[in-house]
Amino acid sequence: MPITTEFEYLKPKDMDEALHVFSLYREKARALAGGTDLVVHLKENLSRPEVVVDIKALQELSGLTLKEGTLRLGALTTFSELIDSPVIKSKFPLLWEASLTVASTGVRNRATVAGNICSAVPSADSAPVLAVYDAEVMTRSLKGERRVPIGEWFTGPKKTALLPDEIVTAIELKLPEKKHAGCYMKLSRYEGEDLAQGGIAVLAFSDNTYRVAACALGPVPARCPKTEAVLGGNKLGDKLLAKAGDTILQEVSPISDIRSSKEYRLHMTRIMLGRALEMAVARLFGKGPKYGTENIC
Amino acid sequence: MKPHNIQFSLNGEKVALSVEPSDVLLDVLRGRLGIKSPKVGCDRGDCGTCTVLMNGKTIRSCLALAVEADGAEIVTLEGANSRKWTQKLQKTFHAKNAFQCGFCAPGVILSATELLEKNPKPTSHDIKEAIAGNLCRCTGYEPIVEAIAETAKGK
Amino acid sequence: MDLQKLITKPKKSAKSKKAGEELTVVGQSVPRIDGWEKIKGAARYTDDLEFGPGLLYAALVESPFAHARIKSIDISKAEKLHGVVKVVTGGNFTQKFGLYMNDRYVFATDTVRFVGEQVAAVVATDPKIALRGAGLVKVEYEELPAVMDAVKALEKDSPLVHPDLKSYTHVPWFFPKPGTNIAHWRKIRKGDLAKGFKDADLVMEDTYTVPRYAHCAIEPHSAIGLFDASGRLTMWTSSQSPFTQRHVFAETLKSFGLSHKDVRVISTYIGGGFGGKAGVTMEIIAAALAIAVPGRPVKLLWSRAQEFYNTYQRLGCTAKIKMGVSKAGKITALDFKLHWDSGAYVEYGANVVNAAGLSASGPYKVDNLSIDSMCTYTNLPPCGAYRGFGYSEFLFGLESHITRMAKELGIDPVEFRMKNAIKEGDILPYGAHMNPTGIRDAIERVRKEIRWGVKEKSKDPKKAIGKAQVCFWKSPAMPPNASSSAFLKFNEDGSINILVSGMEIGQGLLTVMAQIASEVLSVPVSKIRVETPDTDRNPYEWQTVGSHVTWGCGNAVKRAALEARERILDLVQRVHCLDKSTLYLEDQHVKCRTKPDFALRFSDFVINGIQADDHTFKGGPIMGSGVFMPEFASAISDPETGQGGHPNVHYTTGSAGIILEVDRETGKMKIKKVALAVDCGKAINPDLVRGQIVGGLLQGFATVLYEDMRYNEKGRLLNPNFSDYKIPTVMDMPDQVVPIIIEVAQPDGPFGARGVGEHTMIPCAPLIANAVEDALGVRIKSMPVTKEKVALAVMAQGKR
Repeated sequence: MPITTEFEYLKPKDMDEALHVFSLYREKARALAGGTDLVVHLKENLSRPEVVVDIKALQELSGLTLKEGTLRLGALTTFSELIDSPVIKSKFPLLWEASLTVASTGVRNRATVAGNICSAVPSADSAPVLAVYDAEVMTRSLKGERRVPIGEWFTGPKKTALLPDEIVTAIELKLPEKKHAGCYMKLSRYEGEDLAQGGIAVLAFSDNTYRVAACALGPVPARCPKTEAVLGGNKLGDKLLAKAGDTILQEVSPISDIRSSKEYRLHMTRIMLGRALEMAVARLFGKGPKYGTENIC
Repeated sequence: MKPHNIQFSLNGEKVALSVEPSDVLLDVLRGRLGIKSPKVGCDRGDCGTCTVLMNGKTIRSCLALAVEADGAEIVTLEGANSRKWTQKLQKTFHAKNAFQCGFCAPGVILSATELLEKNPKPTSHDIKEAIAGNLCRCTGYEPIVEAIAETAKGK
Repeated sequence: MDLQKLITKPKKSAKSKKAGEELTVVGQSVPRIDGWEKIKGAARYTDDLEFGPGLLYAALVESPFAHARIKSIDISKAEKLHGVVKVVTGGNFTQKFGLYMNDRYVFATDTVRFVGEQVAAVVATDPKIALRGAGLVKVEYEELPAVMDAVKALEKDSPLVHPDLKSYTHVPWFFPKPGTNIAHWRKIRKGDLAKGFKDADLVMEDTYTVPRYAHCAIEPHSAIGLFDASGRLTMWTSSQSPFTQRHVFAETLKSFGLSHKDVRVISTYIGGGFGGKAGVTMEIIAAALAIAVPGRPVKLLWSRAQEFYNTYQRLGCTAKIKMGVSKAGKITALDFKLHWDSGAYVEYGANVVNAAGLSASGPYKVDNLSIDSMCTYTNLPPCGAYRGFGYSEFLFGLESHITRMAKELGIDPVEFRMKNAIKEGDILPYGAHMNPTGIRDAIERVRKEIRWGVKEKSKDPKKAIGKAQVCFWKSPAMPPNASSSAFLKFNEDGSINILVSGMEIGQGLLTVMAQIASEVLSVPVSKIRVETPDTDRNPYEWQTVGSHVTWGCGNAVKRAALEARERILDLVQRVHCLDKSTLYLEDQHVKCRTKPDFALRFSDFVINGIQADDHTFKGGPIMGSGVFMPEFASAISDPETGQGGHPNVHYTTGSAGIILEVDRETGKMKIKKVALAVDCGKAINPDLVRGQIVGGLLQGFATVLYEDMRYNEKGRLLNPNFSDYKIPTVMDMPDQVVPIIIEVAQPDGPFGARGVGEHTMIPCAPLIANAVEDALGVRIKSMPVTKEKVALAVMAQGKR
């Protein structure tokens, strides 16, 4: 299918040039990194920019580094780069696990995490993971830089806090200091690639505290603070899981759509939370399934 | 809209042409450069038949703008036919009658080539993960997976 | 993985080799002759063909309404767009067409009948311009009330999709009811139904529903047409039916001066058909557009979305079953009412309804039988041929019901099937007799393979394991005179070209044809080419559908090979004065049993003739032709009872069993093992039969587990893409697939072969539904049987 909408294409050589374009064109400019969302939108006339700005030549947007406990993912970091990175696999296995559930190799070789959170579909797999890591999104415009906590990033379905003259430069996560393990449970219609009908990301810490976030179960991916409060300080057990299950149902608001029904999503939220917690805790003790296995519900 | 003059390496040969910003890489390869192995299957990157290697990695050429190929190295099955792992895979695919209609074959072969060039000792799970984005409606995948595994083992 | 074969002694057949002569090629898993082409990326599919810089592109204007009157079409803006060559509407082509019923238009004329129906087309020099032009065409509609449900379509005050039904021409074995939405009503009345129910110890009634499905061949439909200055129309189409297409083009467009000889259809390789590329759908548009722009080739390439909403879909079916069974476990009566949603045009779909109506009793002996198979119009996309042709749809209900009834009576469901399984000679629903069948062997082999009777427990306490076994059958659904033909010719080096119009859709037809010829003529498969269809050069083939071409086209190829062999033997007899009965072919030589040192190499004479002692030459190029048309089939029967005809040439039968692991909480299902045994008469290439089993099973399971078409209340398909209509990936493979080949010879098949293709999909739905009930005690009577449905059913059951 060809693209019928017409636009200019620019590939700025440096940030200054890029930011000038965004400053000038604002909503009429779209950044192009992997293109796995943008090109679909262009083909289906969901996006009609005047100019497409290819940011792949901007050196400062690339790179994946862990320095003094802070993981910096340049905006051009692809899901494949995450999966291939020994640092991510060993130090941020939850992010590694979630990345494996995104599309397939050919798409992951191009699709970026930054692009994933900028498209901001409620089912974005990276979103609940970034949320439990308390990530921050770095943006930049001619006016300067901003740090947006991930909790403030998603403002509505397909809406973010990104301003029209800004681009995302990087995402930063802090490596939690306490011993921890995680699990990303994803509800799919089958075993193959799918947009999550529900996703629960969990970090379990050695001091019996937990972080929980959900995607595809409400208008935006978000942390579940009530559930975390109910869990916090306690060892997992049937009673606690039941209570946590009841609580999380108050924090999610799934809808019925062509992918799944509200009833099933609510039913699965409870189950996925329980299984994700159990798996994370098992992994905390060196047991449980390897990351990247048995996390598709 | 301003056309762009781009240059890239296509299966080892230098190519230069003028494209519009809205030209899709797959359409340019098929419509203007005589490359027919990447196919139009689904328009959205869901089926994998448009797979080509761009700078060594498999990508969905239906989701890439032609302008993005400027300065890049593009390899399609026509060019990969001479690579060591591709040839080994093809021999096994042939002996095992692994494909039926063949429409998914170029994409599968490139994905499998990428896998074995990166990881010559893949597990069964690795093999499946590598071709999980290549849809095949005919075979049920089993002979394809078996063929890739046998190729890796060097049978 | 090894194939398991149970080879029973083939019945004596005129076509089988003399005793002592072993088959050397037939029965071998030779590598596909189209293998290298496809594996090297050299195979050309329709959209790969080049037509030079003059090629034009077309884009459609489509109806946004399910049912509306077209008030006006304004093409002026589109026509003015630079690069647009022609804009065409229904006013330019008012002809109707259809395969079994002429109810369809090239473009909607005054009424649109489904969302997405073509209303106009823009032809331009560039695909982008064509699309932009299509966006500039302004159509005014007056929306009409629409009907989206096959059962509602039968109500008295339902909108009529085809008020002119009375005037439509159709094949003589269809029975439309003008003034209603019933396009065809196939009835079977056999035996004494009332008595059958009286004799039953258990009578059970229920309804099972099966929605529409999409073929999702990975290659979309495409067609290029060229109407040249000599008045000849050449079409390049991705089609399972080039000759049928030629016929439809010639008939429909004859007012433009076309006769059949002037229409040429060329089909290269197809990227999957599954029935979706049978008949004629979008190709008629390309033909019409070609005529609209004489002298210039024009291409129409379907997008994936159009693949979903504007090609044939699989019919939806609401099945009401009432069955009576005796304590002894015999089926005493079956009353089967099938309501089919066949969409806005049923020119092909009505035959699915017919085929299902003739065979809905399944591979069982049912003496007291009533079947009502009703084809209904709705304002949804047209339905047509889809792998299985109605059998998957009725089998879901039938085999679910059988297991339920067996269990209710305390009878082992597999034993029940064994008891009722049809035998050779049994009377079929329409009065003819059943062909040889290995169904009992199939049931036995599968039963063993899945360890039926042994209850298994999952290692995971959250999961339960269920088992199921069902039977299946299918006959090709064809007109009684569906024929195949083949030309065969030798080349100088003793190699062979075979020309057929059976299509290579992935099933391996070309290879099997080569194997048949190879066996007869002793030329190795590597020296045989089989050419894809060109209706100018290759002889007639009705369609590559119904899993029948191994049988039909195979017989034609065998006859062509035998004719060539006869010519060779006649010639050698004539020139060398050796009695023909002593001559035989071996290793590309003519040899003689009574003269062991006589060996005449093919390449010495198959083009140039044999040089006699007087230095003259005898013979000439060796060729053969073969035609096969069944002469025992008849579609004429009593409209009220269905009795009297012999519409189905033969049935392929089999059995399949499954070990299914289900997660009690999430409903997720994992197929641990599936075994499928099919009686294909003779597996000419066992690898290819395995390919059909493995591929068909996965496609079948997908329709049960996660393929899910969603329409809104206005008739718009909401998920016309792979992101939301899920077809299997490699991750979705069953853990283990066991293909089992049974060989009970088909007497009139080449080397005893009958077709396998559709059959392997047919048992999947009831396997899952029965296994889920076995595992969790919940019965699901509507497809798809998704994990969501299973989980919610378990929950609902828990609440009771």
